Amino acid sequence: MPSIFEKLYRVGPASLLLKAIVVAIILDALLLVFILLRRTYRKWYFKKRDARVYEFRQGWNALISGEIPFDTWRGNAFDRRIVEEIALDALEAAGPEESARLLKFLRNSGLIEKRIFEARHHTGWRRMRALVALGRTRAPEGIHALAEGLRDSDLQTRLAALRGLGRTASPKAAEEILGWLGEAGLAVPDLPLQSALVQCSAERPQLLIPFVSNAKGPLREVLGRVLGEVATPSLGLDLLQFAGDDLDELRASVARAMSQSNSELARNVLTDLSQDRVWFVRLRAIVSLGKQSDARVIPLLVRGLSDANRLVRLRAAEALVGLRTEMLPIFEQVVALQDRYGLHAYVTALENAGLKEKLEFELQADTRMSQLQKDDLSGVLETGALRTVEMAAMETVPKSGAGLL
Amino acid sequence: MTRFLEISNHTLFWYYTASNIAYLIMLLVALKTSAAHSRKLQSHRLNWIKETPMAPPITVIAPAHNEEGSIRVAVRSLLELDYPQLEIIVVNDGSEDRTFEEMREEFQLRMIRAVYVAEAKSANVRGLYRSDLDSRLLVIDKKSGGSKADAVNAGLNAATSPYVCIVDADSILERDGLLRIMLPILDDPKRVVAVGGIIRVLNGSEIVTGHLRRVRLPRKGIEIIQVIEYLRAFLIGREAWSQGNMLTIISGAFGVFRTDLVRAVGGYRQSAIGEDFDLVARLHRHLRQQGVEYRIPFVPDPMCWTEVPSDLKSLGRQRARWQKGLLDVLWQNRDMLFKRRYGRIGWLALPYLWVFELMAPIIEIGGIATIFLAICMGSLSREFFLQFLIFGYAFATVISIGSVLQEEITYKRYNDWQDVVRLVSYCFLEHFPYRQMHMFWRLQGLSQYLRGDNTWKPLKRKGLESARVG
Repeated sequence: MPSIFEKLYRVGPASLLLKAIVVAIILDALLLVFILLRRTYRKWYFKKRDARVYEFRQGWNALISGEIPFDTWRGNAFDRRIVEEIALDALEAAGPEESARLLKFLRNSGLIEKRIFEARHHTGWRRMRALVALGRTRAPEGIHALAEGLRDSDLQTRLAALRGLGRTASPKAAEEILGWLGEAGLAVPDLPLQSALVQCSAERPQLLIPFVSNAKGPLREVLGRVLGEVATPSLGLDLLQFAGDDLDELRASVARAMSQSNSELARNVLTDLSQDRVWFVRLRAIVSLGKQSDARVIPLLVRGLSDANRLVRLRAAEALVGLRTEMLPIFEQVVALQDRYGLHAYVTALENAGLKEKLEFELQADTRMSQLQKDDLSGVLETGALRTVEMAAMETVPKSGAGLL
Repeated sequence: MTRFLEISNHTLFWYYTASNIAYLIMLLVALKTSAAHSRKLQSHRLNWIKETPMAPPITVIAPAHNEEGSIRVAVRSLLELDYPQLEIIVVNDGSEDRTFEEMREEFQLRMIRAVYVAEAKSANVRGLYRSDLDSRLLVIDKKSGGSKADAVNAGLNAATSPYVCIVDADSILERDGLLRIMLPILDDPKRVVAVGGIIRVLNGSEIVTGHLRRVRLPRKGIEIIQVIEYLRAFLIGREAWSQGNMLTIISGAFGVFRTDLVRAVGGYRQSAIGEDFDLVARLHRHLRQQGVEYRIPFVPDPMCWTEVPSDLKSLGRQRARWQKGLLDVLWQNRDMLFKRRYGRIGWLALPYLWVFELMAPIIEIGGIATIFLAICMGSLSREFFLQFLIFGYAFATVISIGSVLQEEITYKRYNDWQDVVRLVSYCFLEHFPYRQMHMFWRLQGLSQYLRGDNTWKPLKRKGLESARVG
């Protein structure tokens, strides 16, 4: 039996060509006809749709108040889609009063119930569409249907459900998501999950604590990050259990969460975390210390200026500049640190905040210092360079290849 | 001799057929992928992403060299991009005109001191400036390094976000472009290391203060043909390759990368002619060597509009340069070919580029020459020749119309009937003599590279300030 290559060889390109030409020409024609028909159809469809939208817009108030009976448009899928789309678009931009009115309309007209039904009984594309619409309504009665969507086998449908639950911003939705995570583990990408949980658990962050304690692996990391975003001072003691956790992300979350607390305990924890072995934990701790707006954190922030990590130094500098306190004593400490990278970070932060002139003014107005000392400090401020022990400062250069501008 | 001509003609026939079949397969894959992408978009509402607390910050890096006419508008439109956490770095790459002064006046730039870690190689930086009007804007003033790669590297060194988006200062990014291009990253931040966006032809469209007001087809035939080429390359080629995680080119005019990875591979290679292709190839190499599971997707809807050459001379230069870049990168990465550790990149994507992109001008022009020789010697059947021409023409037209169809059923930016009719007409007109000229330019590019002529000659552009480009 001849091989396929032998057969092709025998048939030869010439006879194949004729058939290929015919096929190619037919394909060309079909594509053109398709484009033509599609354009024509869409033109007709959008004309009809525009006219209908205009009609609904004219009687919108009567329509949502129920003066125009719901039955006049509910039965027609084309009309129903238009009305729902207008209502949902309006809902996303509405204030509280208008939102309540629109939500009442969506309930009374049965649109929410219809979407709940579709989310529960349809599959695939139609289910996803229903879940997206339900999420847009932010209606609490949709939470169960959305939670069921989390168990769908298709990732996009699960994501639609997750985003929808996030939109409700309800602790009930957070419970549903956390419960599902307990069953299924991390079955969606991190970021959408984090976003949804941040939105839902902002009101009751304590919901997260037991889940963070019991979760393992990457899920624990994700929940830790969420906790860091939503933690409030009321969680202070609950969070302490994680300050010495093995998971870097969780320690960073504690550091972040502690920014909300002004207690002595929080400061002690942040002091420890600002010396953590992992740079982003130190970064979080420094940022949180900066938010405390307390003069007692100044030495810690000044120490942060000589951190081995560039971002930590920059944030420490920004935090120091952001403190609403006299700048001159801080500047003196920064200069005394004898770290030219720290000094540059500080001067940069001053310049970025437009406070360099203010510091210069404070310096000249100071009565404690001699004119010589003032001139020295003024020179350092102006040039951004340490006048003395430059070589000693060089030894603290954290990274080769770094240049100063 | 006759035997040689016969073999040559058959080789050309099969080469041409294989190339078109490959594109046909890509068209089918792209149509399916686009449909799935459109559905996926239904579950993302862009304003939700804008409000998401976890959207990662992005640094947009825009290198600018002698852009005094358009820089104000370009930077203003970058600052108006919709994205929650944005940093814009404009790199003034040794401009000899008033590019820097224009920015300094418009955005009230103030010199700042900052730690600048030269992780990626670039020419000396003269100063860093921050805008007093919008603190998100940082301008780097540097000596010219003679390449876009050099300028982007400077921006990369100053970037503070986990992701960088490289754009051309003379292109227009749609306002929600960043939100859209970030979708794959938001969906899968661990695996997605870079995302490519689509580049569309700006010529002919109406622009008002840096924003695209109305998309129209250009007037000149040479520009319309480029529209079809861009549609074919992006909506079919890149869409299909990215489906198999084999995207090897992310356009230098619009792409997002993970900052740490770009720094890890040393940023852009300064001497690279096709620096965008080179970077993606090195990312593939790096990640495959590390054994990391990763994805480099292409997203067809975040649109970046760019001006294309409107005269044959500039177009010829551009295409010759692209071909030089292709050869440069393929040659640099020849060790990746058919190696197990580089997987489908080494077994499929790179060999495809070698055979159907790099060799295309040699095989096609060589083939045409042998056909004419065979005709002169009377050894070619006229019937076969005619049939071959008709077949080649009809098949290539299927692919071109297919790319217009892809645009029609997905993004439909050309709403005017007149535009569509002209676009479809040029699907029939682009194959002669444009295709042959294109092959000649590409051949010139190969020859220039082999002769060591890698000088960059600027293309003639009209700029963004004009109300209607093209």
